[in-house]
Amino acid sequence: MTTVTTGQPAAARAVTKVRSGIFNQAWINRADYLYVLPALVVMLIVIAYPIYYTIDLSFFKTPPGLQLKDKEFIGLDNYTAILTSEVFWRVTLNTIIWTLASTVFSFILGFGSALALHRDFIGRGVLRAILIIPWVISAVAASYIWKWIYHSEFGVIGAVLMQLGLVSRPPNFIDSVSTVLPSLIVVNIWREFPFAMIMLMAGLQTVPEQLLRAAKVDGASAWQRFWHVTFPHLRGVSTVTVLLLAVANFNSFIIPWIMTGGGPSNASHIWITHIYELAFGRQRWGVAAAYSVLLFIILMTFGYFYVRALSRGEKGADA
Amino acid sequence: MTSSAIAAPAMGARRKPIDGWRWAGRLFLLLMLFFTAVPMIWMLLTSIKSGFAAMQFPPQWWPAEPTLASYQKLLDPQNSVGQDFLRFFWNSLYVSSITTVLSVAVAVPAAYAFSRFHFPGRRFLFFSVLLRNMFPAVIFLVPLFILMRFLGLVNTHGSLILTYMTFGLPLAIWLLKGFYDNIPIQLEQAARIDGATRFQAFLVVVMPLSVPGIIATAIYSFIGAWNEYIYAYTFLTRNDQLTLPVGIQRFFSENTADFPGLMAASFMMSVPVVVLFLLLQRYFVRALTEGAVKH
Repeated sequence: MTTVTTGQPAAARAVTKVRSGIFNQAWINRADYLYVLPALVVMLIVIAYPIYYTIDLSFFKTPPGLQLKDKEFIGLDNYTAILTSEVFWRVTLNTIIWTLASTVFSFILGFGSALALHRDFIGRGVLRAILIIPWVISAVAASYIWKWIYHSEFGVIGAVLMQLGLVSRPPNFIDSVSTVLPSLIVVNIWREFPFAMIMLMAGLQTVPEQLLRAAKVDGASAWQRFWHVTFPHLRGVSTVTVLLLAVANFNSFIIPWIMTGGGPSNASHIWITHIYELAFGRQRWGVAAAYSVLLFIILMTFGYFYVRALSRGEKGADA
Repeated sequence: MTSSAIAAPAMGARRKPIDGWRWAGRLFLLLMLFFTAVPMIWMLLTSIKSGFAAMQFPPQWWPAEPTLASYQKLLDPQNSVGQDFLRFFWNSLYVSSITTVLSVAVAVPAAYAFSRFHFPGRRFLFFSVLLRNMFPAVIFLVPLFILMRFLGLVNTHGSLILTYMTFGLPLAIWLLKGFYDNIPIQLEQAARIDGATRFQAFLVVVMPLSVPGIIATAIYSFIGAWNEYIYAYTFLTRNDQLTLPVGIQRFFSENTADFPGLMAASFMMSVPVVVLFLLLQRYFVRALTEGAVKH
């Protein structure tokens, strides 16, 4: 600060009149912005511009190819086309099932693992590392591993079920309309639950040991101690974890794209894969942009809750 | 926990339900271990089979004639498969490393500012940084593609580095901010009193203390870039530019029956990130939770 104030006495005098004004504050702290500037510049180019561009494009009819000079203004037609199409509702339903099921099960499995790993035992570190690995490896690799496991002729699950005599022929996991979505959700849970586990393990460490001991002395059962002491302490981190999982699952692309490409007959298309196919498969850029804008609105709703959950955390820390 | 259980030997009747929970936990962990490890084990087992052995029903649970042929093929610079694979590997390594270095360089000052300074708009900026994290790649693909064409970066690794860096920044800043928040501000104040400028205090006092945070951020940037698929899939078309995820996908969409090869490639693609994770696990786990959990 010292370096800043010496140079500009006139400016300093001028701004003292509006001492409480926001511009005054900004001016006094102007050196602070330098630290943020590099990040801001990059983000403006690569983030703000694309968002503006997508919104703009959603009002145009676009020719195939990216020769966008020939686009034609059509108002809200792209939006009405989307909302009246049958595929839209199918894909939306898939997305809801995918997001909800993936989030709920990832959270429950992650929570369970975190609780079970909280107490120390031999091999705990190794076990924890193994459980986290699916989250570290590439989703592309995960997709291929599971595609092979689900293989309709040589898949290992089908083979085990056959050997046990549970089925008469290998089941179709990802080539059948009714089973494809649950099968892909299992893959997604395999990859996502470690994230919930890590977050909740850290959360568990903040639960005061004294409180648990006090509850025990007062005769609370294990379940009561969990429900009345541990769980309330984890509410903040749970909220953040669930929101992050929901957003990540809503935005998934790789697993359905690599494993099925949205098929068979759209049964595993979710919003993101559908938008991608509209844009880069069928080259309907305008429609894809309109979809993106709708997506944007939904995510902003998520975002509202996300920021609210985080702000609560920040306030709690200040207090 | 354990100490209090030992300290109460008189309450024998009470210990029963606790053991019940403990056993339930162990059983649950065993199931999770099974769920997590079996797919990875099956990948490894398949990768050491011959193409013929992999296509048998019922499958060979343990390969009758284990062979490293798939790995040799992928790593042999003499044949075309090996050439491609090694090139993809190098491309991934190159893009991920540069991205990591640049991300850390940009994120460090920004995170520090978010943690320490109270300039107007700080909260707004911070949350807009976080909000960015929520938007999927698909929204940005078309405009970014046009932007890259305008910058002349299509089909170059520059397009990927720029994109990865930007999209890695929110997380990088968020992770680092968590670390800076936990470094006591008194340390800098002491340095300032001793005559250091604010920037010197940052450089000499805070930076060394935030090394764990920087390591963690670097791992995240690296793993994120290494595993990224959708931008690479869209921005790159030339075969010699592809990164591993896209390269492997291209290659095996032509050789659909070569499952041992595919499993070997999936394994090799996972090795660098898993090794990195296992070596630096401590930082990795701590960083993720530093921001979300307040101590």
